[in-house]
Amino acid sequence: MPVISQVKAIYESRDLLRILVARDLTVRYKRSVIGIWWSLLNPIFTTGVLFYVFNTVFKARMADGTSFLPYLLSGVLLMTFFNQGLTMAADSIANGSGVLTKVYVRPEVFAASATISSSINFCFGLVPLTVVLLITGKHPGIKTPLVLVVMFFLILLTVGMSLFMAVAYISFDDSKSLIAILLLMLQYMTPVFYPISVLGPHTLRVIKLNPLTAFLTVFRDVFGNNGSATLGTWAYMVASSLVIFIGGLYFFMRKWPKVVAKI
Amino acid sequence: MKKEVIVEVNDVSMVYRRTRHRVSSLKQTAIDTIKKRMSHEDFYALTDVSLSVSRGETLAIIGRNGAGKSTLLKVLARVLPPSQGRVIVRGDVAPMIELGAGFNPELTGAENILLYGTLLGRSTVVMKSRIEAIAEWAGLRESLDVPLRAYSSGMVGRLAFATATDTTPDLLLIDEVLSVGDEDFQERSKARTVEMMNSGCAVILVTHDLGAVETMADRALYLEAGRVKATGTPNNVIAKYHSDLHR
Repeated sequence: MPVISQVKAIYESRDLLRILVARDLTVRYKRSVIGIWWSLLNPIFTTGVLFYVFNTVFKARMADGTSFLPYLLSGVLLMTFFNQGLTMAADSIANGSGVLTKVYVRPEVFAASATISSSINFCFGLVPLTVVLLITGKHPGIKTPLVLVVMFFLILLTVGMSLFMAVAYISFDDSKSLIAILLLMLQYMTPVFYPISVLGPHTLRVIKLNPLTAFLTVFRDVFGNNGSATLGTWAYMVASSLVIFIGGLYFFMRKWPKVVAKI
Repeated sequence: MKKEVIVEVNDVSMVYRRTRHRVSSLKQTAIDTIKKRMSHEDFYALTDVSLSVSRGETLAIIGRNGAGKSTLLKVLARVLPPSQGRVIVRGDVAPMIELGAGFNPELTGAENILLYGTLLGRSTVVMKSRIEAIAEWAGLRESLDVPLRAYSSGMVGRLAFATATDTTPDLLLIDEVLSVGDEDFQERSKARTVEMMNSGCAVILVTHDLGAVETMADRALYLEAGRVKATGTPNNVIAKYHSDLHR
């Protein structure tokens, strides 16, 4: 199977993967501790705004009485991980002419490194989330290590999607704005700031098709117990990310030789 | 004894799709689809190119600008996958093409050596042990911990050259014999390139310097509009090239 040899090639490039992640983190944080917290300002600010809008302006309350802030922050953190990783991964290939057309490397490695860097950012975000949990009288709980499983599969999903996106970016100059709208739709289709319980049966079916809904439900369940994931949720999370990852690899392998000259 | 063939290129063609319009957009593609109009045309950068180079042999590729020399070199470096045909390379490739790819201005000299070496396919462990020696050769020992943005362009060029040549490849690809830095460094970098060429690896050299072809190459290949126009001894191929030029 060609996809297996692709995965093997990425694994064999793990030296490069490690160096690229180190590069991303060094450049982003510029060797300062403030840099790390600086990168958290965005999700914390977003959470602050959303919290004010829904908690104070609309006076929305969670149906089952769970507190809104940790529910919201965990959603924003996971979506930041996904959005940031996806954008950086697709750009690393689409804007990668400085490297990809000059040395022999697998472009997939660049997508993977960008996503992994973003997942490390996400780990730092777990600190303020823990603080919020403790304030609202909860704690991360015994299932916390399972966050690593969520991260692993979210990396697969993000890399897979970014490979589709990178090819679209390179092929069509105007695809970026269209994809931005689709991503915004996907974001609203994920229960970041609303509970699933408020949805009608038709909407619910659509929302549950979104793999990110499964990811978010599982993440909230294992970190702070703000949601309840069933075995089915876990299975859907794993299966959907594997399908998108393998599909992305396959699609990319087929299309890359045709678009490489365009970047 | 038959010499070991390091690189084999069999009937390689490189086709680019050139769009009729300046940019390719979804909008234009949709309009063209509706109007049943072809929105692109095929452009052959290389057509049925075959060659092989053995260990210890130097092949020079000559031709006019835009004849496909650089494209062929990129195909050989496996950066561009060929549209048709096969490229077989046995062993490590050192592509001396556009040196310094992936250099990051925010990282230090040492970090950039590590990054660039790893991008060139060398192991991080080996690269770590070579940082000092590479910087020493480039004369940049004192600047190792300084971010690259503080380097002059000459210093960046020296660092790139020193890192790229810190290897014993099986196949060496050269796009013009490079000269970087000041006079002293130019002499040394040229000497090092010649030393690498004579180290017993297979060499493919793209150049406009026909004098260098005569002295350095064992064979030459003349490329015209993406096709192999002539191959053979440097003298014969250069004569053919000259007669075409002055026609």
